[in-house]
Amino acid sequence: MGETDAFADEVRRATQGEESAFGELYRRTRPLVARLVAGFGTLDADEVEDVLQESYVRAFRGLPRLKEAGAFTPWLLTIARNRARTKLERRTALRRMEEALADPEPETVPALPPALQVERDIAVVRQLISELPEGEEKKTVQLFYLEGQLSAREIAEQLGVGKSTITMRLERFRGRIKRELLQRVLAGRWD
Amino acid sequence: MRHLDAAVMRDLANRDPVAVAWFREHLASPCELCEAFLANHTDPLDGRVDAVLLQLAPAKTVEADASKVVPLRRPAPPRRFAAPPGRYWGWMAGALAASVLLVVLVPLVKGPVQGPAPFQEEGLKGTGRLSLELAVVARGLDGGLRRLDAGADVTKQEVLLVRYHATESGTALLYQQRPGQPPELLGHFPLQAGTHDLEGPEGLAGVSLEADEGPLSLMLVAFTSWEPPSEADALTALGTDAAEDSRPGTVARFDVRVQSGQTSRQP
Repeated sequence: MGETDAFADEVRRATQGEESAFGELYRRTRPLVARLVAGFGTLDADEVEDVLQESYVRAFRGLPRLKEAGAFTPWLLTIARNRARTKLERRTALRRMEEALADPEPETVPALPPALQVERDIAVVRQLISELPEGEEKKTVQLFYLEGQLSAREIAEQLGVGKSTITMRLERFRGRIKRELLQRVLAGRWD
Repeated sequence: MRHLDAAVMRDLANRDPVAVAWFREHLASPCELCEAFLANHTDPLDGRVDAVLLQLAPAKTVEADASKVVPLRRPAPPRRFAAPPGRYWGWMAGALAASVLLVVLVPLVKGPVQGPAPFQEEGLKGTGRLSLELAVVARGLDGGLRRLDAGADVTKQEVLLVRYHATESGTALLYQQRPGQPPELLGHFPLQAGTHDLEGPEGLAGVSLEADEGPLSLMLVAFTSWEPPSEADALTALGTDAAEDSRPGTVARFDVRVQSGQTSRQP
């Protein structure tokens, strides 16, 4: 899915401050953002809600700086990931507050490519998942990314492992996908 | 053999031809080091990668989540004394602690003791009223804090955090008041001698401004531990111009003006 024209129109309306568009953007993107945050198994339910709220507040406040409507979803997801990481890092006191991850500038986040390209990317990722060796990591990835019904916490319960183990597996897989897609960017096949 | 690191990522972002050529080949095969780096590195690829990954699963119906829609730009529900939520208290406490040096206690308009209070300094309890001072800090959506002067402009998006200095312990009732309206009770709080953040059982007290516009007064009515902290007495204290010694409690007040848009940060 690239950003559809209707969705891009909502982004533009929200950028101009139309209140109804904020609600629509929230309604349409919340499932994705919630899934992303659900991958952080060590965040509790309250913290997950906090991250969601903070992410939308920051994204909506930053909307006037968004140059390309098609970049909204990736930008929002990046903000949410940063918020989740910051929340965990604050909790474990590994960072001082002022070192919290900054939100990305909207113009630095590339827009989603056309829908056809995204479909191809999705096919590539599905292929990569199918090629994973059978085992717990593959099972975790299938449950979280392919089935998309369970949070990392729920998967941890189901598989009988720690929440952080699930998050680590998902992060490791994500690193693999990121490597694959970065390579495609460098090869000029993803821009 | 080179692997990805922050410097390399900068080179790649700048389209350095040598780096691009090397990593185009290198990343064509799995590399645990580079994948581990990418998994934890924040960069512009993140959003696109997540967007692709999160679209693998069947799309959740929008309606399924519609019940959770939070109208972020609409006025808050009557839960007046709500924001920030309890989960924020921990880090907000840290933030306030960090900002304590920036906070200059502002004597209150109605602060009853303008000079030394010898009987209190001598530690005599029950002889009169305590001395009370307030400072207010506005916390923005980005978590930033700014000290407010009395009468300062604040935005609807900010949350007011209250810090007090009291010469005795006791109980405080926090009220807010809009022009032409009666004071509205926001909560009861334990008061400790010394300088402290106004804090309840759930943590720091934060006053949401989402439903306000225009002048707003925060008023803290303090009672010493030997005075029964009744709301009736507190309202009497707020509503009277009687001499300080003849009215119950001690009142400290802080005025702000809520603007609908952004306000410039004060130094």
